[in-house]
Parts: sequence; C-alpha cells; structure tokens
Amino acid sequence: MAYPGYGAPQPGYGGPPGYVQPGAPGGYPGAPPPGGYGGAPAPGGYPGGPPAGYAGAPSGQWGGAPGGMDPQVMQWFQSVDTDRSGRITARELQQALVNANWQQFNQETCRLMIGMFDRDMSGTIDINEFSSLWHYIQQWRSTFERFDANRSGSIECNELQQAYQIMGYNVSPRFIQTVIYKFDHFGRRTLTLDNFIQSCVMIKSLTDAFKQRDTNMTGTITLSYEDFLTMAVLNKP
Amino acid sequence: MAYNYGQQQQQQQYRPPGPAGPAPVDPNFLGGIFQRVDKDKSGQISSAELASALSNGTWTPFNPETVRLMIGMFDRDNNGTINFQEFQALWKYVTDWQNCFRGYDRDNSGSIDRNELKNALTSFGYRLSDKFYDILVKKFDRQGRGTIAFDDFIQCCVVLQTLTSSFRSHDTDQDGWIQISYEQFLTLVFSLRS
Repeated sequence: MAYPGYGAPQPGYGGPPGYVQPGAPGGYPGAPPPGGYGGAPAPGGYPGGPPAGYAGAPSGQWGGAPGGMDPQVMQWFQSVDTDRSGRITARELQQALVNANWQQFNQETCRLMIGMFDRDMSGTIDINEFSSLWHYIQQWRSTFERFDANRSGSIECNELQQAYQIMGYNVSPRFIQTVIYKFDHFGRRTLTLDNFIQSCVMIKSLTDAFKQRDTNMTGTITLSYEDFLTMAVLNKP
Repeated sequence: MAYNYGQQQQQQQYRPPGPAGPAPVDPNFLGGIFQRVDKDKSGQISSAELASALSNGTWTPFNPETVRLMIGMFDRDNNGTINFQEFQALWKYVTDWQNCFRGYDRDNSGSIDRNELKNALTSFGYRLSDKFYDILVKKFDRQGRGTIAFDDFIQCCVVLQTLTSSFRSHDTDQDGWIQISYEQFLTLVFSLRS
C-alpha cells in the first residue's frame, strides 16, 4: 500500500494555515520552532504538555508584543478580565469567546488554549500571554472562515476533509466522520469554531507523538501498554 | 515483565470495581429526586439539568464531560436525555462510584491525591509507573490543585478502562505490546467518549 505519509512537510501543519501567508514578520520557519510555548519540553518530548512549537507559532513573534501592546488587545483583556485580577482564567476566557452562532466556546477548548499559552504554569494568563492567545484565535478564526466554503458558520464533513488535506494530514473520509461525531454534540454533523480548533490541535499533537515513534516512516508503530496510555491520555481532549 | 492491566474490572465495563452498591433505592425516593432535577417538568432530564443536580463535593460544577459520558451511557433510546427509568440506572451508577471514591478519600476532602489515586487504581488491577500517575493527576485535575475530585475521578477511571480494552483488542498475543497504524491510532484517541 502506498503510504502517503501524514502531515506532508507542509509548513506549520496543525497551525492555522493562513498563517503562512506573506507578511509574517520574520518569515515562516517551516519547522516548529524549538521551545515555542508550552513550557520546556520534557525529556523524551511528549509527557510535558503540549509539544513545543504548538500549532506553528514562531517563538517570540507575538510573545513580546514588540513596540507596546496593541490597544485593541488591551481593551479586550480588560473586558475579559471580569474580576480585574490582571489574569484571565479559562472560565473568564469562555465568557468572552463565541462561535458564529453566538454560542459560548466549550470549556475544554478554553482550558486547552489557556494551557498552551500559560507559560508560567499558573493556570491563568497575563496580558502578554493573552496577546499571543488573542492573535492565535484570530488566526484560527480566519482559517475557519476560509474553509467554511458555504459560509454556514460551521465546518461540514467535506470542508473538514479539505482543511486537513491542506494542513497535510492524510486521513480517510471515515476518520473525518469520527472527528465530526466526536465533537458534534448536537447532531448537526458540523464543527463550530471551538471544536474545529480543538480537533486541529489534537490531530497535530497526536501526529507529532506518532511521528516521533515512527522513525522509519512506515506508518505503523509498536507501543507498550503504558506508552500507549500516556500518548492517549496526554492528547485526549 | 509484570504485565497486568486492569484485569478485574473487565467484566463490568465502566463500572466501579469493588463491592456492588447498596440495595436498590426506593423508587418513590428517586421519583422525588427526578422531579426536582427535571426543572422544566418535561419528564426527561437534559445534560444541563443533570449537571446542575450532581455534586462533586467541592461546590464546583460537575465536569460536563462526565455528565455527557453518563448521559451517553444511560440514554438507551438515544434521544440525548434521560427518562425516569434510565435515571434509576444512572443514580445507582453514581452512588456506586461515590462509595468507591469515598473508600479512597480518607480525609473526606472530596478529592483524592496522587497516592490515593495510585492505591485505588492498583487495587483495580492496574500496574502503572509513578510517572504515569503524575500525568493522570495533571490531566484530570480540572481545578489545578494537584488532586482529583469525584467527577474527574469517574472520568479518569472510565478513560483508563476504555483505553485498556482498546489496547487489549489490539494486543492479540497478550505480550503488552501492540502494533498500530497512524489512522487506527488517531481514531482510537478521537473516539474516546471522554
């Protein structure tokens, strides 16, 4: 069988593809930057939370907010930080984010994103971390809109298949069905923005974990019981 | 090499191991509870109604994933809600887990720490490394306290049970190693109900 590989060497698979568009200062590194965010990679790579260089954010590009904070981001931060603690919790973030149908983001996606940007592992994010997160969500939003070909406000099966293909994941239509079934809690057979982000982050980190073990690129790996549990538990939603 | 994964609870999938729960509860008593939970008096309990009725002992909302998981398990007619008959089974399920959990929550704090979790899972038949217990606590501790609350404990046990039975089904020669393809692997993790 032809093994087409997963995640062809497309730049930044797993990250919002739109991100590769010209204009990104510093260019696109093509490979996930070492140590992006998500904390220092734990020995062995995987058990340390999100893989380094999650979703293709070049390190430092947004993090430092060069030239001062975007006033719009400031304003956002202040309105999201409802208890004025100077830090945003997953719950506060959830209050602030909505899908195209005005439904709040699901809790798991908010926790996931806070986890990705919370560099000091406090469970909350400060304004600098928020600024990165804010840009990250904007990127995803525009990616989502680009793949939402019929402008329905949600991603359907064929749109998801297309999106994954462009991001470099070679998966069968049957797997696409599994993804939709997993995230679609309302039987609409579509993904909202929050679920789309969550699915993309999941497939990226699972693919990374798989690749790390598939050193011969055969598309099949051998796993021990505990390694298997570790991979699944770390990457499950 | 010791190779043992959750032997004893395979018979009773997704159920708490250990002694069966208390004798069946009086349906009249449960009827009263059902009516209180069914706020909109529809005769059906939705996941939102169930979430607001369940307590994890820490005054925080019950894990929505656990609620969804349980609705999925007991909603026999697949309409996304729970009728009174389904509710009786669900109630027993939650009480069984509660008894199991209390057995390990020595200080009645409503949550168990890493060592208590290890004791619990070891007694269920799992043989896992300390490193893996750190991962479990980190992943299932939704409140960032380094401990696992009741709702997250159910979630954690059900996830381990599901993963273990998936692993077993691939491990045909029972040697503790499996070969798995990229898409099989993705499918497996994506189809985790929790």
